[in-house]
Amino acid sequence: MDPASFVAPALNALFGIASLAIVALGLAVVLGLLGVLNLAHGELVMVGAYCAYVAQSQGWPYLAAVPLALALCALLGWSVERWLVRPLYQRPFDTLVLTWGLSLLLRKSAEAIFGLGYKSLTEPIGGTLEVLGTSYPRYRLLLIATAAVVLGALFAWYRRSRTGTRIQAMVGNPDLARALGLPVRRYASATFVAGTCLAGLAGVLIAPLVPVQPFMGLDYILMSFFVLVVGGLGSLAGLSTGSALIGGVNSAVSALSDSTGGYLSVLVIAILFLWLRPRGIHAR
Amino acid sequence: MRANGAATALRVGAAALALAALPLLVGDFWAYQLGLFYLYAIAALGVGVCWGRAGFLPLGQGLFFGLAAYLSGLALIAFEQRPGWLLLMLPLAVCVPGVLAFAIGVLVFRRRGESGPYFSMITLALALLAFQVANNWESVTGGFNGLKGIPGLPGLDSYAAAYAVAAAALVAAALLVAWLYRAPLGVLWAALAQNERRVVMFGFDSNRLKAVAFAASGALAGIGGALYAPQQGLVTPQLVGFALSADLVIWAAVGGRGSLLGPALGAIAIGVLSGELRDRFPYWEIVLAIVFIAVVLFAPEGLAGAIAPLARWRRRRQAQADSPAIAAPPRADAGRAARLELDGVDVRIGEVTILDRLALSFDRPAIYCVIGPNGAGKTSTFNVITGELAAQAGSVRFDSRAIESLPAHRVVRLGIGRKFQIPSVFPALSVADHLAIALWSARARPLDLLRPSLRRWSSPLLDALRARYPFLADGTRAAAALSHGERQILELAMALLGEPRLLLLDEPCAGLSPQETAAVIDVIRWVRTQHGATIVVIEHDMALVRTLADHVFVLHNGKVLAEGTVAAIQADPAVQAIYVGAAK
Repeated sequence: MDPASFVAPALNALFGIASLAIVALGLAVVLGLLGVLNLAHGELVMVGAYCAYVAQSQGWPYLAAVPLALALCALLGWSVERWLVRPLYQRPFDTLVLTWGLSLLLRKSAEAIFGLGYKSLTEPIGGTLEVLGTSYPRYRLLLIATAAVVLGALFAWYRRSRTGTRIQAMVGNPDLARALGLPVRRYASATFVAGTCLAGLAGVLIAPLVPVQPFMGLDYILMSFFVLVVGGLGSLAGLSTGSALIGGVNSAVSALSDSTGGYLSVLVIAILFLWLRPRGIHAR
Repeated sequence: MRANGAATALRVGAAALALAALPLLVGDFWAYQLGLFYLYAIAALGVGVCWGRAGFLPLGQGLFFGLAAYLSGLALIAFEQRPGWLLLMLPLAVCVPGVLAFAIGVLVFRRRGESGPYFSMITLALALLAFQVANNWESVTGGFNGLKGIPGLPGLDSYAAAYAVAAAALVAAALLVAWLYRAPLGVLWAALAQNERRVVMFGFDSNRLKAVAFAASGALAGIGGALYAPQQGLVTPQLVGFALSADLVIWAAVGGRGSLLGPALGAIAIGVLSGELRDRFPYWEIVLAIVFIAVVLFAPEGLAGAIAPLARWRRRRQAQADSPAIAAPPRADAGRAARLELDGVDVRIGEVTILDRLALSFDRPAIYCVIGPNGAGKTSTFNVITGELAAQAGSVRFDSRAIESLPAHRVVRLGIGRKFQIPSVFPALSVADHLAIALWSARARPLDLLRPSLRRWSSPLLDALRARYPFLADGTRAAAALSHGERQILELAMALLGEPRLLLLDEPCAGLSPQETAAVIDVIRWVRTQHGATIVVIEHDMALVRTLADHVFVLHNGKVLAEGTVAAIQADPAVQAIYVGAAK
């Protein structure tokens, strides 16, 4: 058999895993470090995607969407942490309800501003690149590379840097960290903002490859959550295995039957993990 | 009680009459619109049951509403010429969503403690999945354009009749929920939402209770959906998907999820308002989302909270109407001596050894005290006995039956009662509800939980406890309003009321004044002689141990260091060493 015939499926799988992992990363940060399930995560991805749409439709360079999305998501993240999450760290259930309300607010706002219809963007970097004898879209390769760099850098920074260590201290024991004089409140706020910014960034990255519309966030929050259920919180390995399993099963079953079958199998896997390994494959 | 029942009947009659007369006031068009929102209101009542009562949030209720609507629509089309069959098919369209909800609940709630966000996410995912199925399965559901040409209910297809059907269904559904809330089931749901572990320690299967709540909400959504199809004549995939699911949560929150009628009120008020404003005012939905967030943050009682003073007056009147107590049935196994043996029990968490081949035996009706320094494994021993902490090795036998692999609620049902170290109560429930829950423990059979009369159960032990502690007799106070000492005594009383044969007390006198301590010691001794129970007490206070203990175990580093009478223990040099820190 021709070895080149494996390259395209392998790259497709890699692309699927990378895009799922980059979308789930923001949720992993917020849920893993702060214990807050941000149900508006998918809508923050949507905000990023609409930023890309605005940049492109205004004729700005595509990269202009990055600062736009970061600024918007940082503002949203900061205010949400300050007003909706911080008063309720002791009441995680209410946080869930409130971020769900926020997701509704963002979705309805997008609907009011941009309408219900699909927006499609053109890839900012067109054309293909020859990989081992197979030509593959350049933008997808760029996305895989960006996802790998962002994930790798973030986890390395978290494990190695001084601030990363302090955040680990906050995660392990917030009261003790506060007693040691660490600005726990500021770290929590910064962590939340980092999570929302990562969501916005993911939105900018994937926007040219998916239909941009107000309801897109629903799929992303569910898929991201299932990735974390399966992979477990707090490690790069967990995030990648989760993305691989969820993304792999979803695309495999979808290809064999239809998208409904793919969706159903992801749901079944999530429920099985909930029973058998509630902390995921890579439990902390 | 009878006067009270008559008053209730009068209120329900007045409400039904008002609903019936409404079309005369607002005209046919509005009556038709209202009829639709009555059906949504029935489904919103179900969100109130789950979220307001039992404390978990379903984000995909549209699934059950839409499923029932499709089923009833298909039945109405198929049996248009043979309407007799509809008497069977329409109830089925209500039952299927209820059964489905129960099955989902059993599956998802199986792991306790993980159910909050998981449950919400899985219900959301199921609604999105159902939308895809309804959208793609064109041969059955009619696909994106929906199931068209559904005939009305035979003989009831005028606008006025459709309104009357919806109004009657709403009244019936509200009565059903009111009954559930008055029954022990409703009390246990409220208790679950506040302190699930305590409910389990009364021998109730909390996962099953939650699944039943979810089933009720599924069936309520089913009633709404089954009537939606004939009323509207069209069922589209939007019904099963996310949009209606989200609306139901908003309506329940804004109307007041914690009260019986709040969710229905929200559905009708916000629903009608949305129908009016959605097209005229493009930012209406955004305003609604902001209102939702504000209500959750600042006014969890919602619209119903705004009219609460009225309800409060009603409740006071109800409390005054004194109803006679009913004697609770005695426990089947009352008086049999308990025998508990732990052998070779190992518990490790990571690198840390919690229990190290622990062997303990409680084999006669007596008061045993377990003492030992902090971290000796005393509370962990209790957790192993009650099935909350899994042992890696060893056996736990109760009445020579192996219980180490039983779930906590089943262990408790065998006749083991427990009082936690930190008073563990249900802050928002009244003292009377606490005592009633304790009495139902191990006495009420599953179907008994539907009988409101169980709230009037009493037992000789309860009478005696009320005589000793007068605050227990004033049943209307909420547990949150009790002092620390009162809460300790309330929890002790609850542990006693189940009349367990083995009673585990974790520092029952912590934080009590000398008088309260003396009273608690009195009660423990009295229960010991009165009921012949085996009592195990974890205690730090040696003075207390001296007055209480028939037999003492000293735990150290997860194993028994010494055992015997108080005098023998105090003379033991090994015990003195760990307490005083003498040389080895």
